[in-house]
Parts: sequence; C-alpha cells; structure tokens
Amino acid sequence: MADRPIEVSEVGDVAAGPRMPFDYAAPSADPIREDLVIAHRRAWDRISEAGTWWNGRERVAIAAEARAAEYCSLCRRRREALSPFSEEGDHDDVSGDVLPPAAIDAVHRIITDPTRLTSAWVESMVEMGVPKTHYVELVSVVVSIRSIDAFHNAMGLEPERLPTPRDGEPSRRKPDSAVEGEAWVPMLPAGRLRGEESDLWGMQTGNVIRALSLVPDAVRWLKELSAAHYLDMKAMPDFTRGRGPLSRAQTELIAGRVSAMNECFY
Amino acid sequence: MLRASIETEGAEVDYRGIADAASAEESTLPGAGALVGFVEASLSTDREAAIVARERVRRELGDEALVDAAAVIGNFERMTRIADATGIPLDAPVSVMTESIRAELGIDEFGRADDRAPLKGWQRWLGRMLDPAFRIGMRWLGRRERAKSAPSSSKPTV
Repeated sequence: MADRPIEVSEVGDVAAGPRMPFDYAAPSADPIREDLVIAHRRAWDRISEAGTWWNGRERVAIAAEARAAEYCSLCRRRREALSPFSEEGDHDDVSGDVLPPAAIDAVHRIITDPTRLTSAWVESMVEMGVPKTHYVELVSVVVSIRSIDAFHNAMGLEPERLPTPRDGEPSRRKPDSAVEGEAWVPMLPAGRLRGEESDLWGMQTGNVIRALSLVPDAVRWLKELSAAHYLDMKAMPDFTRGRGPLSRAQTELIAGRVSAMNECFY
Repeated sequence: MLRASIETEGAEVDYRGIADAASAEESTLPGAGALVGFVEASLSTDREAAIVARERVRRELGDEALVDAAAVIGNFERMTRIADATGIPLDAPVSVMTESIRAELGIDEFGRADDRAPLKGWQRWLGRMLDPAFRIGMRWLGRRERAKSAPSSSKPTV
C-alpha cells in the first residue's frame, strides 16, 4: 500500500488535469486487461455517486477512511489487544465530520480486524446511528476500494487518486423481501427473485452473494468487480476453466491462500 | 473450489500451499510456490519481497498470469471481508461437503468458525457417502471437457 493515506481534501483535484483514472498504460508495462480498466473506472463512478443510503461525498469519505485505516494507531493497538473492544480512543481519521463516528469505526474495523467483528457490534452500530441498510452499503464501498487497492499493491502500482464526489440524493430504496435471521444483516431469499431484484442471481445463489442484498446495487457492483477480478458468476460452477493463462486450480490456490491469511472461515 | 478444480484435472488433491505456505514449493500444482509467495508478499508490507515475488511469477508463469493473479488477490480481499462483516453462515451443502477438509486445513480454528451450525449425524453421514461420488463426478466432468477441447484426430484434412 502507499506510504500514507490520501486525504479527503486531496481527492478529485480538478486542477490535476483530464487524466482518466486507471490509465495503466502509463505507470505499468504489464498487460492489464481492458475489462479490469472498465470495472475499476465503473467502481470509481459508483463511489463518487449517491448510492442507496449514502451520498457521493459520504461514499468518497468511506473510501478515504478505508485507506486511512491501514495507518491508524488505534486500529493497530486494537489488533494487538486480546479483545478488539477493550481499547478506547479516536481513530486517525481523514474525513472530518462527513461521516458519523460509528461509521468511521466500522470502516476501520472492517479493514483492519474483520475476523473479530460480532453480531452484537453490528447491532450497536444501529444504536449509534448507522442502520443496517447504511451498514451494508458502507461494507460494499469498503470492500470494493480494498479490492482495487489490493490489485494495485500486488502489481506494484500506487493507489489511484480518489474520485471527486458528485451531487445527488440517495435513492433510499429498501427491498421488501429482505429478511432477518440468517446473518447479522437482513438478506434477500436465496432462490429466484422477482421484480426489480430479478437480475441479481438466477435459480439459487450462495450466502456470500446474498450478504449485501439488502442494498441490491451493492450486489450488482460486486458482480461487476468479481467478473473482472475472478470469474463471471455463470463461469464459477465450471471447474474446468480458469482465467487467462491460470488454470482453475491455480486460481483457487490463490483464493485459498488469501482467505487463509485473512483467517476467513468462509 | 480448489478441491473441485483439482479433481477435474484428474490429479490427486494437494492442498499444500493453503494452510502451510512453506510446503507450497513441494506442491504438484504447477507454479504453486510462485503464486503462494506472490500472495504472501502482496499482503505484507515488505516491498522488496513483493518485487522478488512478482518477478518470479513473471518468470515462471508469464506477465498475463501476474495480472490475473493480482486480480484474484483483490477479489478475495473483498470476499473475505464481506463474509466477516455480515455474519453470513457457511452454506449448508458446502458445510456438509467440506467438513473433513476444514478440519485438515485448520479452517475450523479461525475466529468465526464457531458460529457455524454444528452438523447433525445424518449430515456427516451424507457428506461421507457423497464424497466418492463427488470425486468421480468431477473427474468425469474434467475428462469430458478435455475431450471436447482436444483436436479431433478423425477430422479430415483439406
């Protein structure tokens, strides 16, 4: 990752000129696929625009905090503590008063100590002014920028400058069929969906896709990024084909090692 | 996923490299040592190690493979956090079919694994019964796909 996080005040510097984001031809001679460029640019658009529950300025602030968490001294102390809830203090945040403190805390914890999150903590977010709808959208922004930054880091590229927030109001649309009970957040049923959510998946899907379905656009974004970074959802069940020159087994070895290093049970 | 993909290649399942990075070098999977080294260096703060790891992937597997591998790292930095942040349970069929592998790889020692609903006796039995069928099915699938993609020797030449 970069030596320091990018400040919100630095993002979207229009004076920097008309350079398109993710212009990989300049800093890298590597054959970075066009679908990666498109997916990353689309992600930058999504971050900068109003979402379902957060506006563009808040979404860019969430992205900036996701980067800042890497360098946060409170997060570092918490990671070393026996309990992640024993250390009190303020995060080394970069977004000023754009986000409520509970949202900043959520972003930092998801980046730096995700395996020790709990159901009770997610419930406490609600009490501190971050409803589960907002929490799910926050998760989608955090994990999206994390994945793009991780790609850059792996390739030895600097992180892309964050986008300029755009005006607009969140749509505030909650799917009627989301139900509580299976996870810490409500999810849509695993089977075939009808109506406006019918495009999210086919006959059936796994919990990791359903996880963000309280905010349907977050699932659409997840599908876009996964198709470029890994495999299209339709290609996933075909274990005979990998991506590009990597066999499927080599691809899954990378996936398995990343998951193991992150101590992810899933 | 790793198991299924290796089974379709018709090889013995070799998990070395996931839980035990040091033995990735001995894995029968081509490039396993380079790929696991690349993952570890990419998730560390050691820039020198990252440069060395990238060069090894380039040398052993090529520039395109380096890009694809970096993208997969990005993907699973995302997916693992989605699972951890939302408290989703492991899907029941996966839980049944992976019980022995999870124990073998130490995945059940990870923090949130305790949240997983314990398998019932009949589910364990079902998993054991289905395991050989799964293996045979995956290998059959792999052979079928390889036969499909192989050039036909009976095709007349012009």
